[in-house]
Amino acid sequence: MTDDDLDFLFAQARVQTPADAGAAERFLARHRATLAPPPRRAPLWPPLLAAAAAVLAGVLVWRPAAPALPASAAYDVYQGTLGEGW
Amino acid sequence: MRPALALALALALGVPAQAAAPEDLTAALRQARTLAARGEAEVRVYFPPRAVPTRTAARLPAVPFRPALLARNFTVTRRDDAPPVAGREVIRYDLTPKAGEAAHWTLWIDRAWNVPLAYEERFPNGALARRAALTQVQPQPLRVQAGVPPIPAGLRGAVLAALPGLRFPPGFVPVALQARAGGGVTVSLSDGVNVLALVIAPRNVRPALGVASRRVGGRFVWLVGNLPGEALRAALSGLRAADEAPLGTFLPAPDSKR
Repeated sequence: MTDDDLDFLFAQARVQTPADAGAAERFLARHRATLAPPPRRAPLWPPLLAAAAAVLAGVLVWRPAAPALPASAAYDVYQGTLGEGW
Repeated sequence: MRPALALALALALGVPAQAAAPEDLTAALRQARTLAARGEAEVRVYFPPRAVPTRTAARLPAVPFRPALLARNFTVTRRDDAPPVAGREVIRYDLTPKAGEAAHWTLWIDRAWNVPLAYEERFPNGALARRAALTQVQPQPLRVQAGVPPIPAGLRGAVLAALPGLRFPPGFVPVALQARAGGGVTVSLSDGVNVLALVIAPRNVRPALGVASRRVGGRFVWLVGNLPGEALRAALSGLRAADEAPLGTFLPAPDSKR
């Protein structure tokens, strides 16, 4: 191997190529994965609790009105004010 | 000469008779508090609607007449040529509301006894709402104790405090108050002869002929009676709140054994 060959090799090693970047990225990703603690699953219950509370509050505020009474209920009241015997 | 004579006759007979008509009717209605004709009566009721509108009874059903209110709210026309009722001579009085769209009434008053023998209520369009008429009359009238309780002082103000924004239909004033079994109260309104039921209730009621209702806050306010639907709804349209508390003092104590 001549000096020229060596110079060429050194010059090539100094220039960063996309292959180098990719290799570095792969290494770092593995490294970070080993360093980071195992991912915790986000707990499910706070949103569920909030949703249940919202539904309950809605039901309490917009309490489903009892169905309207038939018109005969109104006529009965009127009948009571008419006087006796009608 | 002839028009002058006619005018003189009208002044001598017609006008004084008409001018005195409300007083004559008032006298008859006061008489009816202590004296009543008995016999057989035919009663027809088309409002409030019912399955069988016609029935017979031994006496005329009661009408809570309030002569002072009646004289204020109605034009009273006297007719001396009415055909007899149950074979007895009568004077007929036609009642036309001075304002608003209240029902019209006609009363037939016995000439000798000065008590009603028949009356009828007609919708503003002329259709019959109620009619009661004696078809047979016993030879002598009976002593009775009838009449309506006086209007509690301050009731009107209390009703307006309970239902701010309420507009009483023309001529009607609150005359009585009753607690409802299922919660709420019923206020009776009268114009002297017609009645309306004003209800504050925890539940709504379906709209129908003579029935209007509105949700106000957490309560429902109904107005029921023989008035056109627009007139009933207009009375409730301005309501801003509904709270029975101001009416509490007018209600009998819950434990009273009346």
